[in-house]
Amino acid sequence: MRKTVQQWLEEGIVDLFLGYRAVEGHPIPWVFRKDALHELEAFREGPYRYPLEKLAVEILREDPRVRLGLLARSCTERAVTVLQALHALDRERLILLQEPCCPSPLHRGVVCSSLAGPENGSQKRRDGIPRGRPLEELETWEADERFSRWMHELEKCLKCYGCRDVCPVCFCDQCTLQDPELFETGSLPAEAPHFHLVRAVHMAGRCVDCGLCEEACPVDIPLRTLYRKVGALVRDLYGYVPGHEPVPLLWGPLGDGELERLVAGERSREMVWEAVRRCSG
Amino acid sequence: MDYKLVPSVCPYCGTGCGILYKVLNDRITGVLPLKSHPVNEGKLCIKGWNAHAYVHHPLRLKAPLLKTEGRFHKVSWDRAIRTTADRLGDIREKHGPDAIGVLVSAKITNEENFLAQKFARTALGTNNIDHCARL
Repeated sequence: MRKTVQQWLEEGIVDLFLGYRAVEGHPIPWVFRKDALHELEAFREGPYRYPLEKLAVEILREDPRVRLGLLARSCTERAVTVLQALHALDRERLILLQEPCCPSPLHRGVVCSSLAGPENGSQKRRDGIPRGRPLEELETWEADERFSRWMHELEKCLKCYGCRDVCPVCFCDQCTLQDPELFETGSLPAEAPHFHLVRAVHMAGRCVDCGLCEEACPVDIPLRTLYRKVGALVRDLYGYVPGHEPVPLLWGPLGDGELERLVAGERSREMVWEAVRRCSG
Repeated sequence: MDYKLVPSVCPYCGTGCGILYKVLNDRITGVLPLKSHPVNEGKLCIKGWNAHAYVHHPLRLKAPLLKTEGRFHKVSWDRAIRTTADRLGDIREKHGPDAIGVLVSAKITNEENFLAQKFARTALGTNNIDHCARL
């Protein structure tokens, strides 16, 4: 892989390459360039994951001519596709160097170092939402218990905004989570569950299930599970999986009737088309 | 274009979380948690995520200010240190060393904190020294 990066830089296929390099023992994101090829000696493929695509957006925006190579795990590729769909980056100037990695319900069959997270503690098992469990298993709890378990998790929130700041597909100039009419700034506890559900809704049609938010959460809220639920709803309702194709989700606003049927577990594409037809007609 | 990430330690509290400063053309534009750091293991609080905010802030103090006749004026370090020393000396003489208290900070290094307590105890002659991380 190191040789490929060197070749890309030497042959001018890319002007810069964003990957990882060991600096003082820490593998960190690094921009490799042709005039400093010796830096490739400490090139790393991981094992730690950073939102490289988010850094790529900043680099491409700063220099409108630069061609950038990017070390891409599958989650990076999916995020790049979403960013392309939302016109947040110029895909023409970005060349991906694919790196095999992680399985998720949205993408199976490869291995990722970040999956071996911390063990669930006894309190989390008893009162909260244990991480890494499939949605079907969590949904076997009664609604009351599920609600109290989720609240146990969400009430820990420190409102650090780390989930948003680390998120590869969060790039809005104005963030609803900082709307003073919805959420009080500088006050704790966080407005659970609204704060988290607002973010969850905004993840619909965007979240690529990379799990960086959950890794960044200082209080171990199972955010990946929360957004997976949103992802499953969008998949079942619209047949849309973010990151598969560079087209955005055309969001058909749902009326009360549709929402009720949705909550009741009725998820048909017909229902959605009905809503879309009504909106466009 | 020059874009690099620089490993550092969060300046805000005594925990010492590892952070990465995002530096674009010699300006710090943001922070990422340092995933491989043993203290925070890739997590940060809101202060860490915003540890860059004051660096290029227009209101950041870059020189000592001396208040005379109700207004702040920019002065040289020599003048600032001399004035501080004179005033501390006056207070100590008039009201005794325990009229002075020294508050140190988690934002300075361990060694600087040591020097500050040494200064309080031996130069000023008071045990009135405290630290924000003594929670």
